[in-house]
Amino acid sequence: MSAIAPSVSNAINNAIPQSADGAAAPLSAPSRAIPREGGNSLGTFGVKSGLAQMLKGGVIMDVVNAEQARIAEEAGACAVMALERVPADIRKEGGVARMSDPQMIKEIVNAVTIPVMAKVRIGHFVEAQILQVIGVDYIDESEVLTPADEEHHINKHNFKVPFVCGARNLGEALRRISEGAAMIRTKGEAGTGNVVEAVRHERTVMAEIRRASSMNEEELYTFAKDIQAPFHLLKETARLKHLPVVNFAAGGITTPADAALMMHLGCDGVFVGSGIFHSGDPAKRARAIVQAVTHYNNPKILAEVSENLGAAMVGVTIDKNLQGGEFAKRGW
Amino acid sequence: MIHPHPDAAIVIGILALQGAFIEHQDALQKISLQKKIEVIQVRTAEELAKCAALVIPGGESTTIALLARLSGLLEPLRQFVKTKPVWGTCAGAILLSKNVEGAKKGGQELLGGISITIARNGWGSQVESFEADLDVPLLRDPERPFTGIFIRAPVVLSLDTTPEDPPIKVISRLSPHYLPESLTSSNLTHEPKTFVALQQGLHFLTTFHPELTQDNRFHEYFVRECVLPSLPPPLQ
Repeated sequence: MSAIAPSVSNAINNAIPQSADGAAAPLSAPSRAIPREGGNSLGTFGVKSGLAQMLKGGVIMDVVNAEQARIAEEAGACAVMALERVPADIRKEGGVARMSDPQMIKEIVNAVTIPVMAKVRIGHFVEAQILQVIGVDYIDESEVLTPADEEHHINKHNFKVPFVCGARNLGEALRRISEGAAMIRTKGEAGTGNVVEAVRHERTVMAEIRRASSMNEEELYTFAKDIQAPFHLLKETARLKHLPVVNFAAGGITTPADAALMMHLGCDGVFVGSGIFHSGDPAKRARAIVQAVTHYNNPKILAEVSENLGAAMVGVTIDKNLQGGEFAKRGW
Repeated sequence: MIHPHPDAAIVIGILALQGAFIEHQDALQKISLQKKIEVIQVRTAEELAKCAALVIPGGESTTIALLARLSGLLEPLRQFVKTKPVWGTCAGAILLSKNVEGAKKGGQELLGGISITIARNGWGSQVESFEADLDVPLLRDPERPFTGIFIRAPVVLSLDTTPEDPPIKVISRLSPHYLPESLTSSNLTHEPKTFVALQQGLHFLTTFHPELTQDNRFHEYFVRECVLPSLPPPLQ
């Protein structure tokens, strides 16, 4: 992005005669006029993926009302996810899970100063248009809601607001980035209080990246075909040795130790959903998980923050009888 | 004070509680200088004590302040700011300001250091985040503009220097066209709102994110103009 910008500005610079008193004012003025109308400098991939960079080392918490959002902000959340029902309740109550009421999302936006995210159904680009208009900071095209389209995801390049999408493996992550996702979260199994799937997905992504980074170009072509990933993104990932966007872990993270485990496996931060507000002392647990992500490499601090957190979410085993089904299998 | 060996590396810390700290580390490590720079991540008071200068990265200022307090770093940081060079980017700029508007309910903790009032999320939500070319007359290659990446960026509302404070030097300003209407419609002068990079004494502030570009001229500026002048002169 930085490589492109100067050449663009030089082009503008050459086209516009310089004023006698130097380059100062005319240099930046025209570049504003163009983007405000054409949208060039707003919602660039640089600012979309850049916000995710600022969330790194942080915890994004599911909240269902303004009061919970305030608790999350006070506990040190770097962002909140506004939704009507946390995943554990979606499992329990069943039915079709959709985008939340815009009024409820606006109340949360007004209650906190940190970024607010909200979920849309997979493929439901009109729900995404609505969330963009009401001014959410990030959209999660999420498998936790009931998919609206079983073949297509949203073309996320069409939006100024950035998107985060779920993935279980490298191919799925790169397909989402190719559609315009500016942040990836490994899916885990939301609403279970069980971290096993989050571990599986994060390990899978990281192991596939390690494999790709030792391949030559011929092998990368074949690997791209095998995992159904765009070749150029796979090549870039192999060179960087990490995904080209920020990668958070999600789905079943319940304790400070779970959060620290995910950080060790290579993610940049964590989402915690049902695990906080389905526990005995949400404020205390939330704060402990925030500290655990920062100090994941320091078992002494982890021991201190894990003490006396009250009852954790009970959690369930993940098998074919899982109530509500396996959300992680949604996504194509 | 113990004078370090003249060949010893300058230790610059990056406050690594939350946010984009790795990017600052990479940019600082690429600076070529006669003196060696060692960059360390700071999460504890012991790590802070090793540093000759500090960078507070972008992230969420409320999260960083809370983690600083819970890690017992808030007071050591306030002491550090009184005597050593500190650079704050975006969230770090908020923490380094004397006053803040648009803080979370109940207010938020600051470190101070630069005599300004700053407003959080000056442009509004993420869809208003933008990139803009900045004039950088005081940096290396001054004719080449710098790509400023503004993400939910704060806005400098006023300069609040007292006669005892060192003067504030404006390092870069944004074309007023970029300012949101809500900030330009008032009768007050909007000039400070165009200030996006400031220096006051040893302290440096940018409301945008030089660390997200491959251009490390602002990192060079901080080292050259804030860090190096603060070091004790070498023993003869």
